[in-house]
Amino acid sequence: MSALNTESSFGWVTRAIHWAMALGVIAMLGLGSYIARMEVGMSNLWLFGLHKSIGVVLLALLILRLIWHLASPPPRSLPADTPWKDSAARWVHRSFYVLLIAVPLSGWVGSGASGLDVVIFERFTLPPLAPTSEAWESSAFAVHFVLTKLLALCVVLHVAGALTRRDGTLRRMVRG
Amino acid sequence: MFRAILALVLILAAPAVAAPLVYTLDAEDSRVGFKVPFGPDQITGAMPVRSAEITLDFERAARSKVSVSLDVARARANFPFATQAMTGPKVLDAANHPTITFVATEIIAIQGVGAKARMAGDITIRGVTRPVVLDAEVFRPQGSAEGERGRLSVYMTGAVARSDFGATGWSDLVGDEVTLDILVRIDLAE
Repeated sequence: MSALNTESSFGWVTRAIHWAMALGVIAMLGLGSYIARMEVGMSNLWLFGLHKSIGVVLLALLILRLIWHLASPPPRSLPADTPWKDSAARWVHRSFYVLLIAVPLSGWVGSGASGLDVVIFERFTLPPLAPTSEAWESSAFAVHFVLTKLLALCVVLHVAGALTRRDGTLRRMVRG
Repeated sequence: MFRAILALVLILAAPAVAAPLVYTLDAEDSRVGFKVPFGPDQITGAMPVRSAEITLDFERAARSKVSVSLDVARARANFPFATQAMTGPKVLDAANHPTITFVATEIIAIQGVGAKARMAGDITIRGVTRPVVLDAEVFRPQGSAEGERGRLSVYMTGAVARSDFGATGWSDLVGDEVTLDILVRIDLAE
């Protein structure tokens, strides 16, 4: 089992990062929607910390993934049966990279602008990315809200594409 | 419990024409406790009293004078995020408004119930002044003699609305009415 990607297969590092982020992103979309709607009290306040902690881990994984793909480029996509599917797959992939940077950053900006410490893993305080300001806070969380919906849309399109293709695309992300 | 420990109310058994008594604050043992709804729970905490000028007239309560200044930056809630939120710019804004002040404008003894009084005054929070009414009760230490007034505890209760003072941060999560229970310990000035 190779760690490195080849021209036709994904190495285990890329696959591990892919599936860890897949799990994290889907869980975070659910967790984010839940904490945005719940009645906040002492018993569930920690969920905000959990959301921030996982968000920072996902951002770190994305950066790790980008660096890894510079070192070991992933294989090219297999051609789809129609050109629009190739184009859609390309755009969804590009959107993932943009969103997986912009979503955690917008959350981090909004949290920091609230004036409260951005604490992850109940221990580490991240520096605020914006001044304490209601304008920064509400704008950043509005951006976070919209981008997470786009991210959810990308997840749906990506999963739909992977499940409908019969050319081994999903298999090579599972088994290499 | 508190009341039981601190023994019974002062009885007004002093000489007939006593002058108003000047007291000094025991800041260490004085605090302003607060409670505010937070979802199904409450945020609780306390704010230290920085200084107070207290003159009490036990015969004519109206001649008593009370003014108190609180130390906003040293206020603490029951969990760190609440402390930071409360002292930060969206609530009490301690950096720009380091004190909360209270000046009594009218003190009315409640007849027939010992050393209880209703104290109306002006409270200034975030630079905004609004009227407030506190219920006050004066206690002497357990075991002290009746009429002893050297060291007293004044227990006050009341409430303020955050929205009256623009201290509205996190109003979607944290309630508007803040209930106060204030314990001030004072010693008769030499």
